[in-house]
Amino acid sequence: MNFLAASIESLGAKVAGWFSVGYGMFAFLAQAGSLLLERATWNRATFDVVVKQVYFTAVQILHVFLGYALVISWLIISIILSTARDFGLTEFASEMTIRVLVLELLPFLTALFIALRSGSAINTEVALMQVNNELDALAHCKVPPMQFEFLPRLIGGVISVVTLASLAGLLALLMGYLAIYGMNTAGFAPFTQTIAKIFDFKIMAGLLAKCALFGLAVTLIPVTAGLETPKKLFMVPVSVLRGMMRVFFAIVAIEVVSLALKYV
Amino acid sequence: MARVAPDLPLRANLSALDNIALIPLYQRHYSAAESNRQAEQLLAQLGHADIAPLRDPDMTPAQRFIAKLARALILGRPRLVIDRPGAMLYDVPYPDFIRQLAAQQEMAGTWEIYDFSWNQALYNQALHPE
Repeated sequence: MNFLAASIESLGAKVAGWFSVGYGMFAFLAQAGSLLLERATWNRATFDVVVKQVYFTAVQILHVFLGYALVISWLIISIILSTARDFGLTEFASEMTIRVLVLELLPFLTALFIALRSGSAINTEVALMQVNNELDALAHCKVPPMQFEFLPRLIGGVISVVTLASLAGLLALLMGYLAIYGMNTAGFAPFTQTIAKIFDFKIMAGLLAKCALFGLAVTLIPVTAGLETPKKLFMVPVSVLRGMMRVFFAIVAIEVVSLALKYV
Repeated sequence: MARVAPDLPLRANLSALDNIALIPLYQRHYSAAESNRQAEQLLAQLGHADIAPLRDPDMTPAQRFIAKLARALILGRPRLVIDRPGAMLYDVPYPDFIRQLAAQQEMAGTWEIYDFSWNQALYNQALHPE
């Protein structure tokens, strides 16, 4: 009986904890959203941090990311093409390539890439700022941490994921064309027709929304996880661990919901 | 009131200059160049222009104190409270060090020091060296 009560109690505490974390994240997002509309937020210092964030998240890793996208795209396109040829479905190869790579796999991998590289760094930095009282020091100097430290990271994350996923998508389209039709313009008309057929307004809006949500997930969750860190240095790794697990689940959840909305 | 205190650290990933320039840049909407100029000028007045490019972990306790002090001074508040200087300035005889900084002509406003009572002897020594 005691065991049952303890289990229910533990489960209840976990569920309450999840709700509390979820509420904290949405409250933070709502606060960030309302500050976006305030004129005072948009000053030179905030803008500089946004630019810096985009540089560190997207520009600095561009060559590595494009190389990685190139290899992944080439492999997936080769697999799709060879399978399509085996089953005599070559005419569907370009549509399959676009749907699998551009709409699903590349945005997902971009989000994972940014989460591992920048999300973990943001989580660690915010946790250390919290532990070292740097946020209190900024607030004392009337430099609000939300406008100066957090909001630029959210904006930078969204811009970076949307831009990198778009670039990877364009690269995959080019690779797909070259793999299917080779170095000639003969396939240009059917290929562009396939693109036009797939990328209607609904799909484009959905893709943009998904990438923006990925961008938010890889920055918002690490920031809130960092802010939850108790003021003890040894809790920083625990905070990063928790934050990165949440980021992973959020990315998977966004992808699953997006697939369900599209295909179920 | 502006405070210089052990529990109000510098932003670790910014240089001393950026930590100070942040205030005019963010609060008064000055350009980056003008904010940097004001911060450089203040550091030069305090006699430590050389610490401008250093980040928190690369500074000595005295240099860190100067950066914190400059950040507090650039806020332009009428009162300056130095909280437990012994916890920040453990590498210099600090009552003398602070007195010399405060004695400079450009330093306006009231400076107040809050310290542990058992350090009173250090201040007496600084005020009456003979």
